[in-house]
Amino acid sequence: MQQAIPYRGWLPTAATPPGNSSSGGDTKSVRKLVAENAVVVFARKGCCMCHVVKLLLHGHGVSPTIVHVDDQNEADVITEISEINSAAPQFPAVFVGGELFGGLEEIMGAHISGELVPRLRQARALWL
Amino acid sequence: MNSASTQFVPSRRMGIHEPIHQMAMWGDFKGLDTSPPMILEVEAKLDNQSEDTSHGIDGPSNKYDQEASKPADKVLRRLAQNREAARKSRLRKKAYVQQLENSKVRLIQLEQELDRARRQGLHVGGALDNSQLGYSGTTNPGIATFEMEYGRWVEEQNRQISDLKNALHSDIGDVELRLFVESGMRHYFDLFTMKATAARSDVFYLMSGMWKTAAERFFFWIGGFRPSELLKVLLPHLEPLSEQQRLDLCNLGQSCQQAEDALSQGMEKLHQIIAETIAARLLGDENYYQQIGAAYEKLDALVRFVGQADHLRQETLQQISRILTTRQAARGLLALGMYFQRLRDLSSHWSSHPREST
Repeated sequence: MQQAIPYRGWLPTAATPPGNSSSGGDTKSVRKLVAENAVVVFARKGCCMCHVVKLLLHGHGVSPTIVHVDDQNEADVITEISEINSAAPQFPAVFVGGELFGGLEEIMGAHISGELVPRLRQARALWL
Repeated sequence: MNSASTQFVPSRRMGIHEPIHQMAMWGDFKGLDTSPPMILEVEAKLDNQSEDTSHGIDGPSNKYDQEASKPADKVLRRLAQNREAARKSRLRKKAYVQQLENSKVRLIQLEQELDRARRQGLHVGGALDNSQLGYSGTTNPGIATFEMEYGRWVEEQNRQISDLKNALHSDIGDVELRLFVESGMRHYFDLFTMKATAARSDVFYLMSGMWKTAAERFFFWIGGFRPSELLKVLLPHLEPLSEQQRLDLCNLGQSCQQAEDALSQGMEKLHQIIAETIAARLLGDENYYQQIGAAYEKLDALVRFVGQADHLRQETLQQISRILTTRQAARGLLALGMYFQRLRDLSSHWSSHPREST
């Protein structure tokens, strides 16, 4: 099966030039990431729930972009996502097609009800 | 303290005038063999007398020359020693009795607590094996509440099963039947809510399945039944099914399996992480509490996992009810209820008839 999305391990905050304010750099990163990638998962490192989300998505042939949230960028990421969605996110937070889909619960629910595949297709995460 | 009395103490009698505010413990005089009657006698004689009396007794003896009064001296000394021993013994006895009184009060308190907890535990309806009763001796109020509520849940479940049975055998219409189906589903969802609260109280307890019967525990998966297994149990009782329904149920089974596998693997990862956290730096005892604390935080993830597993159960039940007609759903609920009832009956039969090795 074709891998639609390349696996990326790290949030490119490390790559932002030191001159930029961190919040400015993160704003671009979060928005940019969810716009550029069909499926993005924001999660704390070593989070087992994230592992479950990953496995479920892999099962559909989707390789999501995993973004690790750590103590340094957590506040910024939360602020940014709250601005986009007017609600504080719970991690892991899954974006599909640029929109916040939800957490593991929402992914699981959609997986069982059969709604997940059409949404993935819509976001061009799937080609079949 | 009578300072005058110390003036008259000859070297021989120093022991008599030890300060009596020294309280000896019960054990101190273990070796002392003064027979109780003698102490009491001495007590009775001297109880009403103040220290001045002993002083008075000593007084006259001081007039005597040491050589002339040796025998009388010895007797007097022994009497004084007895008095002292009696005094000490009285104080010791007082302290001991006070301790006993305190212990008695504490014992009564503990008995009341135990009684309360046992009564709450004994309210569990369906589960009859001894292990359940034993475990409910716990004084965790959240768990005691849960056990009580679960007992009521099982009783209500049995009622619903028999109502559903009657409804299906009558010529009840679909609209009314739908109400039975919905209240049946809601009853399962209520259990999931109860479990979520209990998990916050004691997630290990919930995951142990000790609140369920032995046979149900055998099929346990992350705090409850396995949705894919459930589907397999129900399928033959839902016939006749349309081709579309059969396909939908088949897909649902697959989805359940995938979701279960993902959750199971997530749990395994959590196992690993918690084990690593506890095992880190075992031989350096400065980090002891840090490691315990770190592992403790990870237990929150366990609570979330149980929640996710229950959520999967709920979604599966809802999807089943979407795929089926009202009548099929009613039959499915009945089959499900009877399946669990049989497991509970098996457990109670098993626990009350222990198999003997022949």
